[in-house]
Amino acid sequence: MAEQHVKPQGPQTTGHVWDGDLQEYNNPLPQWWLYGFYVTILFALVYWIVYPAWPLGEGFTTGLNSITYVNSEGKEETWHWNTRAKLLKETQAAAAQQKPWFDRIAQASYQQIVQDPELMGFVNSAGRALFNDNCAGCHQIGGAGKIGHYPNLADDNWIYGGSFEKIRETIVNGRQGYMPPFAEALSRDQVEALAHYVLSLSGEPHDARLAAEGDKLFHSHTGACYYCHGSDAKGRQDIGAANLTDRIWVWANVPGARDMPAKVAAVRQVILGGLNRGIMPAWGGRLNEEQIKVLTVYVHQLGGGQ
Amino acid sequence: MATITATSPSLAASPSLAVPQYDYDIIKKFAVMSIVWAVVGMGAGVFIAAQLAWPVLNFDIPYLTFGRFRPVHTSAVIFGFGGSALFATSYYVVQRTCQTRLFAPGLATFTFWGWQAVIVLAALSYVLGYSQGREYAEMEWPIDLLILAVWVAYMAVYIGTLMNRKQPHIYVANWFYLSFILATALLHVFNNLAMPVGLFSMKSYSLFAGAQDAMTQWWYGHNAVGFFLTAAFLGMMYYFVPKQAGRPIYSYRLSIVHFWALSFMYMWVGTHHLHWTAIPDWTSTLGATFSIMLLLPSWGGMINGIMTLSGAWDKLRTDPVMRFMIVALSFYGMSTFEGPLMSLKDVNALSHYTDWTVGHVHSGALGWVAMISFGSLYHMIPRLWNTQLYSERLVNVHFWVATIGVLLYITAMWISGISQGLMWRAFDEYGNLQYSFVESVAAMHPFYVMRTIGGAFFLSGMLIMAYNITMTIRQGVRAARAPGAALAVA
Repeated sequence: MAEQHVKPQGPQTTGHVWDGDLQEYNNPLPQWWLYGFYVTILFALVYWIVYPAWPLGEGFTTGLNSITYVNSEGKEETWHWNTRAKLLKETQAAAAQQKPWFDRIAQASYQQIVQDPELMGFVNSAGRALFNDNCAGCHQIGGAGKIGHYPNLADDNWIYGGSFEKIRETIVNGRQGYMPPFAEALSRDQVEALAHYVLSLSGEPHDARLAAEGDKLFHSHTGACYYCHGSDAKGRQDIGAANLTDRIWVWANVPGARDMPAKVAAVRQVILGGLNRGIMPAWGGRLNEEQIKVLTVYVHQLGGGQ
Repeated sequence: MATITATSPSLAASPSLAVPQYDYDIIKKFAVMSIVWAVVGMGAGVFIAAQLAWPVLNFDIPYLTFGRFRPVHTSAVIFGFGGSALFATSYYVVQRTCQTRLFAPGLATFTFWGWQAVIVLAALSYVLGYSQGREYAEMEWPIDLLILAVWVAYMAVYIGTLMNRKQPHIYVANWFYLSFILATALLHVFNNLAMPVGLFSMKSYSLFAGAQDAMTQWWYGHNAVGFFLTAAFLGMMYYFVPKQAGRPIYSYRLSIVHFWALSFMYMWVGTHHLHWTAIPDWTSTLGATFSIMLLLPSWGGMINGIMTLSGAWDKLRTDPVMRFMIVALSFYGMSTFEGPLMSLKDVNALSHYTDWTVGHVHSGALGWVAMISFGSLYHMIPRLWNTQLYSERLVNVHFWVATIGVLLYITAMWISGISQGLMWRAFDEYGNLQYSFVESVAAMHPFYVMRTIGGAFFLSGMLIMAYNITMTIRQGVRAARAPGAALAVA
């Protein structure tokens, strides 16, 4: 069967036969293949001359290519091509490109920045990049947050205050929200009553009789809720106590609960266990003053800056 | 075709001879397991591809998470499917081209059970959370020792058989298999040098640290590609392509030159996986340049395979098994062009850490490694059981389903990989990054779905093959049992 394909004037085989019919022609190397191979070797030679390439005792051949950059002392230095110098050079060039913008930000007040469309263009670009790198991991892209975990930054409801100064303070120092657990201080029935009262404050479905009981407890020394949340239950921004009278929920996932028992359970859980997850890390050491300023304005204009 | 090959092993079918000419039992076992592992490994691949598109599919069960299942996929396809196919074909090729039975058949049997145990233990240990964290060498130290024992036995069987040959010359396929066996032994030992925490602890720490550890890992990693997934499968190609075509290999001279060039160059290129990291710049340059110089030596194998068909191109139309082999060689040529390109520092700055790399690996793994194995298994299995393929039509269906699968897969990964690379380096007019990482993840979703579909196509083709092969074997076994079977075959 093999023989019928062999051309009469074809190339010679090596004369070896394996396994009945396995043979090899002895065709020469294809010219284009051979010259292609030489070209790749030439390419490599050029690459070796240009870049650091071959180890040589303690050092290596450094190549003809060089990089000039400004070192940390502000002096210009020239080195053979290397990735560290390339990185320094490129980051310095990027920083130099942005410097005029950050200088203007540093000199302007918050009000001036907000009123200057050019500066706001930069804030929306740099602020977005900073926010997405540093904040979006928790607060989500766009600052929508996540009920039960991370506050929404795009609405006009603020736990610690939404002025430029307060937002800056939050970013620089971080926050440590805390509510004590009441599981041991109060009885099961008392907690139930309080939960109904808290739901009644924002017009959620509740049991009116239990809510009335909860109202008394809330304003009593037994429950002592008004110490932090205030007699009007509108919260206190100076200690980060939430406003309970609006329909915005940070920790108890009331909007996500299907019916009254589920809503009660969500609030009950917070009262019983308290809260210690309202922790935001401090960014003061990680970002510089201008970056924090940009971020402050960016967060302020996400929705509800005051 | 069948008439030619049936002449030499027909002795095997003759019940009057106590010792058949070749030792086929071990080959049959490995051939069957390669099909089994292909189904398992590709199934795992489709599953984790779906997890990337729809993360909910890990069901919050730690054992099913991507991190643990990914090495299950890679080990099952590379070592389970690829490894078993290599054991099977190398034992077949070495016996037939040396005209002798396997040396030390007891050791050969040990390589079978030992190798299967390695795959099972590796998969179980990954799922339970044990991993060395070295790509393609995630097995912890006790499994590494078992691999070593199996490999030494394999080497003994293979070299012993070569030494017993009744042919003066060693056929080219055997050089490639031998280089694969030797290089894998070397790579496996040095990459896995580690100190166990305790005699009864699965945990160990690498003997190397930092940049040296990374370079050792990628010296192994890329040579696993070079010797396990390339040289060995070229060995397969060098036997099965001329056999299936019924034509002599195109050029003996080319086979020598590209064999030595390939073996020499591959050992240098591992550092191209570590461009722009803490490794010395000169190592990175050498990795890139040797990758470039590897292009033509790699293409030598492709030329020798494809040109073998010159004068018999009609077979591409009529023989679906041949089609598998030639398309495999085409994908091999494409991947070995893409690889050197990606290893250049500046291209790598765009491609590294993106799905482009994943696509590149799969055009080699699905397009080259799997396709050449399919072709070889379709050729070999009917001969092992002394029968014909159950259905050539199903081979054809498998071919098209698999080809569509590969194309969908690599197209999806090209688009998503290059998009990722461009999104990560995109700056706006103020010099700020235009996209955050998570935005690039969200943008990949449609391509991850497309990749999953491509994988599902490839897996469906594999299931068709499993059915076709099962029916083929059954047909062979039945014919052998029937009275006068030996006559019918002759």
